[in-house]
Amino acid sequence: MEQIGSEYLDDKLATVKEIDFLQYRSGDLPTWCPGCGYFGIVDAFYKACRELELKHEDIVAVSGIGCSGRTPIFINSYGFHTLHGRSIPVASGLKLAREDLNVFAVAGDGDALGIGGGHLPHVARKNINITFLLFDNSIYGLTKGQSSSTTPHEQKTNSHPAGNPDKPLNPIKLALSYDASFVARGYAGDPQGLKEIIKAGTLHKGFSFIQILTPCVTFDKEYRTWKNLKENVYDLNLSVKEKNMETAMRAAENEPFGIGIFFQDTNRPHYQDILRRLNAAD
Amino acid sequence: MKDINLVVEICGSAGEGTISAGEILSRFMSGQGFEIMSFDSYPAEIRGFGKCVAHTRISTNPIYSPGKYADVLISLNDRHSISQLSVLKSDGILIYDNQPPKAHKEDQSVVGWATPGMISYGIPLNMLANKAAGNARGMNMVALGALAALFHVDKDAFTGSIRNRYAKKKQIVVDSNVNSFLQGYEWTKTNVNKTDLISFDSVSPQVQGEKLITNGNQLVARAALDAKLSFYAGYPITPATKIMEILSKELPKHGGTLLQTEDEIAAIGAVIGAGFGGKRAMTATSGPGFALMTEFTGLSMMAEVPAVIINSQRGGPSTGIPTKTEQSDFNAALFSGTGDCPRVVLAPTDTSSCYQAMVTALYIAEKYQTLVVLLLDFFLSNSIKNIDVPDKPSQEQIYANIAPNKEQLKDYKRYKDTKNGISPRAIPGTPGGMFFSTGLEHSEYGRPDYTDANHLKMTKKRYRKFESILCEAPKLEISAMDSESVDIGVVSWGSSAGAAHEAVMIARKEGMNAASFSSMMVSPFPEDELIAFTDRCKQILIPELNFSGQFAGFAAGIIKRPVERLNFITGRPMAAEDILQKMREM
Ligand SMILES: Cc1ncc(C[n+]2csc(CCOP(=O)(O)OP(=O)(O)O)c2C)c(N)n1
Ligand code: SF4
Repeated sequence: MEQIGSEYLDDKLATVKEIDFLQYRSGDLPTWCPGCGYFGIVDAFYKACRELELKHEDIVAVSGIGCSGRTPIFINSYGFHTLHGRSIPVASGLKLAREDLNVFAVAGDGDALGIGGGHLPHVARKNINITFLLFDNSIYGLTKGQSSSTTPHEQKTNSHPAGNPDKPLNPIKLALSYDASFVARGYAGDPQGLKEIIKAGTLHKGFSFIQILTPCVTFDKEYRTWKNLKENVYDLNLSVKEKNMETAMRAAENEPFGIGIFFQDTNRPHYQDILRRLNAAD
Repeated sequence: MKDINLVVEICGSAGEGTISAGEILSRFMSGQGFEIMSFDSYPAEIRGFGKCVAHTRISTNPIYSPGKYADVLISLNDRHSISQLSVLKSDGILIYDNQPPKAHKEDQSVVGWATPGMISYGIPLNMLANKAAGNARGMNMVALGALAALFHVDKDAFTGSIRNRYAKKKQIVVDSNVNSFLQGYEWTKTNVNKTDLISFDSVSPQVQGEKLITNGNQLVARAALDAKLSFYAGYPITPATKIMEILSKELPKHGGTLLQTEDEIAAIGAVIGAGFGGKRAMTATSGPGFALMTEFTGLSMMAEVPAVIINSQRGGPSTGIPTKTEQSDFNAALFSGTGDCPRVVLAPTDTSSCYQAMVTALYIAEKYQTLVVLLLDFFLSNSIKNIDVPDKPSQEQIYANIAPNKEQLKDYKRYKDTKNGISPRAIPGTPGGMFFSTGLEHSEYGRPDYTDANHLKMTKKRYRKFESILCEAPKLEISAMDSESVDIGVVSWGSSAGAAHEAVMIARKEGMNAASFSSMMVSPFPEDELIAFTDRCKQILIPELNFSGQFAGFAAGIIKRPVERLNFITGRPMAAEDILQKMREM
């Protein structure tokens, strides 16, 4: 009989795993527009769950409102579609009450930085142990193309036909200045890379902030398009510079299309560990 | 046996030991077996020398309201006490300092303002305190000594009580307080010619078991811990802050977690998150915070996630009057938010029922997967009473979630349309129980479904739960009726119920034919019982502490009859005297 080579086995295993990740997909077909970047994001998410071998029943995906808010419907896990801008507080309460669960919070850019922008500094400085996925398409998708907090200055949108008068926020800079202990940027067109980032964020003990560049193919034909993203996105290749805030800040300022992990502090205790220490000392 | 029913007010400025003297007096009287209720008022400012009043009612009989007028006013500060004379009864007793360190101008001395029917006893409070301890700090104790001597109160028991109060302090503090008390006592015994009739001599109330001296805020915190609260999130706001402060100490000891959030939206969001995780969770706030929580109240109802919000009402609207009591969030509690959004609202009617209300709130929220609002107010939160030690919640009240069984998990419908509207709820971590929850209208599986038939079906299901919740309503408080019908039925809610009940009792003694009705559960409301009651009343009076008669309008809609209203927004608790006066006029 022919010897079965180890490469063959590895290959086979990879294919099985590859197919196997579909178990994390729910029975519902995504309702997003064909070509929407969000397909790539959930793909990366399924794969990250598979590789981390997370139990379905221990995953809770908490979302806000928007096209991104629908995400939990397409995941075979517990899911909670909450309110516009409020995935962070709900996910925080859930995680603090149930440390045993893997809690993901999902939000669009309007969700996370506009209406819900007030929650971000606090979950970051408290370092609550959840993984936050910011689906950043720099536009309001669900309400059909109005300016969001990350829409470029002067871009024409349905709420600003003459051009957006506001300056966009820089999510990575914000997260860094809010003292998030894990700050990364991924790209919907690179599910493999994004998967690795989601895995790292999930394993990180503390608040993980992951901005995901993704196009809204229906309402932004100008700026964050597949074409522009493909041309501009590149790997930052920052070998994770532990606690190097300076490098991270510089990259956040100068490299709007660079993807990778900007910053991670693995020594900082997360919220519940801090509480336990303080209450034990009390 | 003689009855005692006495209201004592001590008036001074912040820092003169006014409040602690009131506290010592009420603790002592409670220990002697009397019923007590006290309600202090402080200056709004944190610092400064604003006016403080310690108001204590002492009685051999159950106390339902703090009493509007004082029988005795102890003045530790003439300037502040002059205005307090307005609530001293026309035949009341004034105890004042007759040898202040600096003589008052004539119009600034409290005794100059006392009206002729009042009895005034001048005691050299300042001088005696200095004699006892070398400074004026013990004036409050001198005054208590004078009070004890005047009213024949057991001196030794009283000094014991003072010693207890300062037990943790240095001996010198204990001694100077006790000595001040004794100076006041002896001086009064020797020098004062008593002309009033108040006497505790041969009054020996029945001491009935162990008493707990407490207020609404302390009781809800205690009840929440007894009912296995495991998560609290909140944002500070008067008069609810104390609940968070107590729980921040106690909850971690009970294995729970307390989160101070960035605002009230985050607080209720986190509570709903914890509730989704299957844990008992709550928050406490006041009007402005409750307004912010409104957006999440709809989600709790729609996604059927347990959540409890305590709203301790202040004077409203907007930032309103933070340190005054009012009942003007009735409408907000029942109707805030959008859409057809039923919720449970419990309004305890007195201090001791705060405990039961809290236990019931957590139980109903969990069992019926719904939002429960617990309405306190500044008065209930802060007024102090000695109550019977409450019974701990039963196991049934503590573990109330109805989980799906194996069979139901095979094709799990998280929002199954059931007979009583309750759909078995899987808790994250349960294999095979995975579901999706949303504030969008959804099918029995939790998937968005906007068809008209589904919207109607699910709306009905959510309302159906409330029919069953009525059976969980704590017992109604309806006074007995001697005859088939009464002339006046007083219908009340929340903290006004005590005064209403008391007014009706006095009215009946006076020969009026009257009865009272109140219900701790105000949503869903026991409508049938209210109708049955009001059908037997010729006239209906609804007293409450808001301007527009929020509850009166609600009740009139149920009974479809006009009602007499009695509304106050003075910031003071409802007074039996005012209700009684209105009843006499009706
Ligand atoms: C309180 C509130 N205001 C407004 C809306 C309407 N709304 C729904 S989604 C949305 C913005 C969506 O944009 P974004 O958050 O960027 O998410 P996306 O749809 O792009 O994923 C708005 C304004 C709402 N649901 N709730
Ligand atoms: S509107 Fe934009 S964000 Fe929403 S699904 Fe369509 S492409 Fe995606």
